[in-house]
Amino acid sequence: MLNYTKYEKVRIIGARALQISLGAPILIETSTLDPIRIAQEEMKKEVIPITVIRD
Amino acid sequence: MADLTYIDTQIEKNGDKLTEHILGQLKEKLYFANEKYNLSNDEVVSIIEECIKAYEKSLVDPGEAVGTVAAQSLGEPGTQMTLNTFHYAGVADINVTLGLPRIIEIVDARKDPNTPVMRIYLDEDIRESREKAEEIVKEIEGTTIESISKSMKIDVINMSIVVELDTYKMQKQGLTLDDIKEKLYKLKKVESIEDEDNFLTLKAGDVSLMELRKFFNRVKSHQLKGIKNVKRALIKKEAEEYVIYTEGSNLGEAFKIPGVDITRSISNDINEIQRVLGIEAARRAIVDEIRKTLEEQGLDVDIRHIMLLADLMTMEGEIKQIGRHGISGEKSSILARASFEVTTNHLMKAAKFGEIDSLSGVTENVIIGQPIPMGTGNVKLIMKK
Repeated sequence: MLNYTKYEKVRIIGARALQISLGAPILIETSTLDPIRIAQEEMKKEVIPITVIRD
Repeated sequence: MADLTYIDTQIEKNGDKLTEHILGQLKEKLYFANEKYNLSNDEVVSIIEECIKAYEKSLVDPGEAVGTVAAQSLGEPGTQMTLNTFHYAGVADINVTLGLPRIIEIVDARKDPNTPVMRIYLDEDIRESREKAEEIVKEIEGTTIESISKSMKIDVINMSIVVELDTYKMQKQGLTLDDIKEKLYKLKKVESIEDEDNFLTLKAGDVSLMELRKFFNRVKSHQLKGIKNVKRALIKKEAEEYVIYTEGSNLGEAFKIPGVDITRSISNDINEIQRVLGIEAARRAIVDEIRKTLEEQGLDVDIRHIMLLADLMTMEGEIKQIGRHGISGEKSSILARASFEVTTNHLMKAAKFGEIDSLSGVTENVIIGQPIPMGTGNVKLIMKK
């Protein structure tokens, strides 16, 4: 995995949390209902299908 | 106990992950710890790993608004500084501008600082001798005819200037009558100099009274010896050695005097340092001067903020001030320039020349209400394939 900066992590989690809150299927088993928490957990497990462009 | 060569190879293996300075320190400390605690090979490896972790943690993430943080970190202490301009620096009673006025002076890169001061160190073999220091002071300190005379007056009847010399002061400065006469002959308009006892009579040829008055003032301030711009020099003992402090600064000339340690002597005039020692020295001088000024006021600012400021001021190879005629005035964005000072001028000029703003900076995007290219605003997302 890329070594994301703290800003990149925030943007990825944010974008993913928005998807989840709009009803996207989640990619991990979890008991939490908060989309942001779910996105954070997904981030930890590196399963979020989003990455960054660096130019 | 870990082998010394093992430590060396482990450090070398991680050479690209740490700076040279840290690597050197790490090696030294590892050798020391190895001796004291009998480190195992595994321990050596994990110590190095911890170091790398700590170093990486101390780094700033890309996208961090370091400039803004530096500006605030310097600005806030600025509000706490006294406006008290002058201060007597310790035993040597030389006036030095301190506090906020000094900071402003540095940041504005003034060509003529209020209180230029030199700190002159002596060569290794003579630095502990007071006599040698005094000899060098005599060469540095500026001496005018006024400072070695008991009285000076204009003789209106003979249209001449009469100087009564102080022999004691002359001796102290190591000047002879012939020296003085020779120097005075170099002045324009001097026709003849007669000496009688300790009186010198200067004739200026055929001049009006007004011209004689002007001539009198020039004679008064005529430099007999010493370095230009240096008004006073004092000796101060610091630890084991004697250090010379001067009021007024002229590094280039001071370096020509034998016995002066060029490697350590320094001025507080940053523009002069740039001229004499180069831009890197000037950068260091900016950092040191700002840090010293803040420290003197009991303020603690991380040196990296100051270094960023100094880098910004010196990165073009010459010292540039922060304000309108320097950094801020040379920004490529019209809106960024206009938001600083003289707004209308910038906008009018940009309109006249048909300038284009690429909106790549922070200020421009704040003005037009877009996310700014900093931190999270600078990240572009894409779906993984």
